[in-house]
Amino acid sequence: MTILSTKDLKKVYGSGENEVHALDGVNFEVEKGEFVAVVGTSGSGKSTLLHMLGGLDRPTSGGVTVDGKEIFTLKDEELTIFRRRKIGFVFQNYNLVPVLNVYENILLPVQLDGGSPDQNYLKEIIDTLGLSSKLSNLPNNLSGGQQQRVAIARALASKPAIILADEPTGNLDSKTSQDVLSLLKVTGQKFSQTIVMITHNEAIAQMADRVIRIEDGKIA
Amino acid sequence: MNVSNRKIIRRLSIASFKAAKIRNIITVAAIALTTILFTVIFTVGMSMKYGFEQSNFRQVGGCAHGGFKYLTKEQFEELKGDPLIKEYGKRIFCGMPEREPFHKSHVEVSYCDENTAKWMFLEPIEGRLPKEGTNEAATDLRVLSLLGVEPVIGNEFTMTFMVDGKETTETFTLCGYWDYDEITVANHVLIPESRTQEIFEKLGTQGKDGMTSFITMDVMFKNASNIEENINTILERHGYQSEGLDQGDNYIRTGVNWGYMSAQFEDSLDITTVLALIAVMLLIIFTGYLIIYNIFQISVSNDVRFYGLLKTIGTTGRQIKRIISMQAFLLSALGIPIGLVFGYGVGVVMTGIVVSKLDGIALTYSVSPIIFLGAAAFSLVTVWLSCRKPRRMAAKISPVEAVRYTESSGAKRKSRKGQKGASIFRMAMANLGRNKSKTVITVISMSFAVVILNITFILANGFDMDKYLNRVVADFIIAEAPYFQASAWDKTGILPEEVVSQIEALDGVKGGRTYQKTFEAQEFVSEEWIRKVNGKYGSPEQLDRYVEMLEKVGDLRADRVQLYGMEDFVLDKLPVIEGDLGKLKEGGNYVAAVYGDDDYGNLYEDSHWAKLGDKITIRYVKEYEYFNPETGEIYGEDEDLSESNKPYWTRAKVYEDKVYEVAALVTVPGKISYRYYGADEFVMGADTFIRDSGTSDILYYAFDCEDDKVEQVEQWMQDFAGGDDSMYDYESRKKEEEDFYGFRNMFVMVGSGAALIVGMVGILNFLNAILTGIMARKREFAVLQSVGMTGRQLNRMLITEGMVFAGSSVVITLILTIVMGPLASSVLEGMFWFFSYHFTVTPILLVAPVFLLIGAVIPLCSYHYVAKRSVVERLREAE
Repeated sequence: MTILSTKDLKKVYGSGENEVHALDGVNFEVEKGEFVAVVGTSGSGKSTLLHMLGGLDRPTSGGVTVDGKEIFTLKDEELTIFRRRKIGFVFQNYNLVPVLNVYENILLPVQLDGGSPDQNYLKEIIDTLGLSSKLSNLPNNLSGGQQQRVAIARALASKPAIILADEPTGNLDSKTSQDVLSLLKVTGQKFSQTIVMITHNEAIAQMADRVIRIEDGKIA
Repeated sequence: MNVSNRKIIRRLSIASFKAAKIRNIITVAAIALTTILFTVIFTVGMSMKYGFEQSNFRQVGGCAHGGFKYLTKEQFEELKGDPLIKEYGKRIFCGMPEREPFHKSHVEVSYCDENTAKWMFLEPIEGRLPKEGTNEAATDLRVLSLLGVEPVIGNEFTMTFMVDGKETTETFTLCGYWDYDEITVANHVLIPESRTQEIFEKLGTQGKDGMTSFITMDVMFKNASNIEENINTILERHGYQSEGLDQGDNYIRTGVNWGYMSAQFEDSLDITTVLALIAVMLLIIFTGYLIIYNIFQISVSNDVRFYGLLKTIGTTGRQIKRIISMQAFLLSALGIPIGLVFGYGVGVVMTGIVVSKLDGIALTYSVSPIIFLGAAAFSLVTVWLSCRKPRRMAAKISPVEAVRYTESSGAKRKSRKGQKGASIFRMAMANLGRNKSKTVITVISMSFAVVILNITFILANGFDMDKYLNRVVADFIIAEAPYFQASAWDKTGILPEEVVSQIEALDGVKGGRTYQKTFEAQEFVSEEWIRKVNGKYGSPEQLDRYVEMLEKVGDLRADRVQLYGMEDFVLDKLPVIEGDLGKLKEGGNYVAAVYGDDDYGNLYEDSHWAKLGDKITIRYVKEYEYFNPETGEIYGEDEDLSESNKPYWTRAKVYEDKVYEVAALVTVPGKISYRYYGADEFVMGADTFIRDSGTSDILYYAFDCEDDKVEQVEQWMQDFAGGDDSMYDYESRKKEEEDFYGFRNMFVMVGSGAALIVGMVGILNFLNAILTGIMARKREFAVLQSVGMTGRQLNRMLITEGMVFAGSSVVITLILTIVMGPLASSVLEGMFWFFSYHFTVTPILLVAPVFLLIGAVIPLCSYHYVAKRSVVERLREAE
């Protein structure tokens, strides 16, 4: 079953001489439960692609379908709501809310949506990611690896259709990177999540089920 | 939208609220200062309105909306239940003492129920109102002192008074007393209703005077509008009328409290005051807006990443707006109460200062909830307006942009020209250009205070004492106290000759009397002139009626005339427009015609009809007669015409005509005039005045004093006429000087108070701009330092930034002052006749070093705080 697909996705920045084709007609599909890595060099357009997939930015042309919904037909406000229900993000710099503690950060997307958390599910995530003892810590008291684990927990909390990870290990040393990545993969399997991960690191990409290469805004 | 997400939004608001401590302190202070300004305005305004009404009520003798007078018991019972009446009070007039010690006072003995007593301000400060069935009575301290009775509850006192033409002597036990109020004319002795009935029975009172033993019902309606209409509606409903006795037996006399009417009149008519008030309110909103907007704008700019992050996770624009609104509300909830408390305190002080400089307003402090509700509402509106734009900005943040966001004006500038390399100064300027609106608003906010300060200074400096004292024509003027009171236009009082001779006996004093007209006199003028002079007071129909009423003599009509008899000393003080006053001094049949001028000394050319050399006739009237203009019937002397509705006109019956030549045209300076506008005026020499009128009633005695005796004489006058209990009062050059300084100080106090608060707002704004600027650039500074910028250079850059802020404010203020000077001068000279505009920038120059110092110190301190942590630490710090 296809959970994510793009159709002739294009993004152009600037105009005239300065025109840059960040994405130049990207087409691919991701099946439910797949762990896909998107690799490319710096400036290849992989970050732009992730922004499009997550509905953070609108394409110049083309479309993205998530869980059967053509997302760019939605208005900004609707898109935001769709995003917090269907898409979980894991960023390179974690992007935790500094004023909220670990538990509150994890719960945030669920609560923003006005839902009440599934306590059993939540406990399982927290245990799996080894965060039980850190729940009341504030993010700046955690190591990088711990922060990223919180981010993963947050992404999983709302039971999204897909998880988008943008260089999730970019700020971590190689040992921690391995740990975090394993956890990502394990939790993905355990909670049958679809994961799209962006990275420039070939070794890390190899841990994925499938690798998509992107170069000059096109799939190579 | 789902309701249950409110909880997390609140949690987020509160959490991020707690994280922004410095911003919160500054914002709370800003909101509090804004609220202070509003509360002061409301307190002073409401207190003055209240004080104005109160002094009106006290003059009227009560604050009831209106009343039905002299009712029978049956009428009272019938009317009191009318649904229009919200509250009613009952009063029964009993009598008035006429013999000593009350021959000079107006004292009324009556029964009043609690409501009436309250509305007439007869509230005991000690004891209580009399109880039914006892011989108790309550009165004021003045009555007690006239009786020579100690104000001790339980003391007995005896009074003799007239009850409907019959005298009675009664003894009462004092059960309560209150202070005598100068403004109220009447004194009251309150006794129980039962006692009034006893007295009436004993004397067989039938109420022949139409007052005694009848009931007066004072009423309060739902509100003070349409009082007269309500009263008439009630009468109509019960089949009564208030037109007059000749309209039928169902006549009931009514009264409307003009205290309410004139208060409303004042309110609705004074457009200038209303406009000025609106202008001040807008100014305060603007001041508050400048800082609160700036704070929120900066705060949102700095938290862009935070909001971007929230957006990425799925927070909607509406939710972000709610987060900011909630913070604004929290800050208001802290700042507004603080502002209300302090503002009320400042307002009370200001009210005291302002009211003491105004006549005819009682000093009262309003505690109306409108003050607090109004000030709070205006502050909330200011906060709401201020965070509207930042809120929208935060809600619109694009999550992708937010991550890359650094403070910038949002302009799409792609490159920056310049090959000179970076200098500290250019870097500082570029930094200020990053957020232009922040820089501009901060500078305006600081300039604002200096402009207010400068205006205050120009105002205070421009009040010209020489100009002010110009109108003081003599060193001293003494007269009976009412002469000096604006409200007492029909009872100036007569200064006894003994007082004058006492003063004349003082060393180094030289002066003159002015005699006043205490008799009837007429002049003969054309109908055209009468219409012209009275034109503004009535409609053409009213004027017709007025002219018709005046006796016709030839082509002319006999109209009232005002006369002065001045001794040489006073004559010498009169500005002569044309002619010579010498002839008046010699005696003989000469007069001077009095023309009018305005405060600035500009003559009203056509303010008198008499020209130099005219022969004019003055008719000294010994006796008038009243007649019916329709039938020609002459009324008898005893007939009370005011009570009936018969038409009557008057004409002179016994009189003497004298012809004078107009020897000069003069103006009479306000300080030595009658001080009220009456009729056409002529000045005569004192001898001529006494000879022709046969009277010598002194209006005032004006005198000069040798310079070295002034102190002594001032002291003598203070002892003789300065006390509150003296019948006399005086004005002196020194008192005028004090008045002048008092008036000036009022402006200085109010103006510098405003400048101080607005200045604090400006400096807070500056503090916030600098602090947040430095906090937001912590990492950037570390980067700069890591590439080799020394701490000293960094400091220099920051100080330059601060100085540019402060310097620009000073420059802007200078420009504003120079540009607006001519405009301000004409406005102010139009407002105050004793104002001379002097251009000055002294306050700006005085404030400039302070600003520059603040501009240097604040950045230094803030950077010092940041620099406590090492460059590496700061570099590694993730936002």
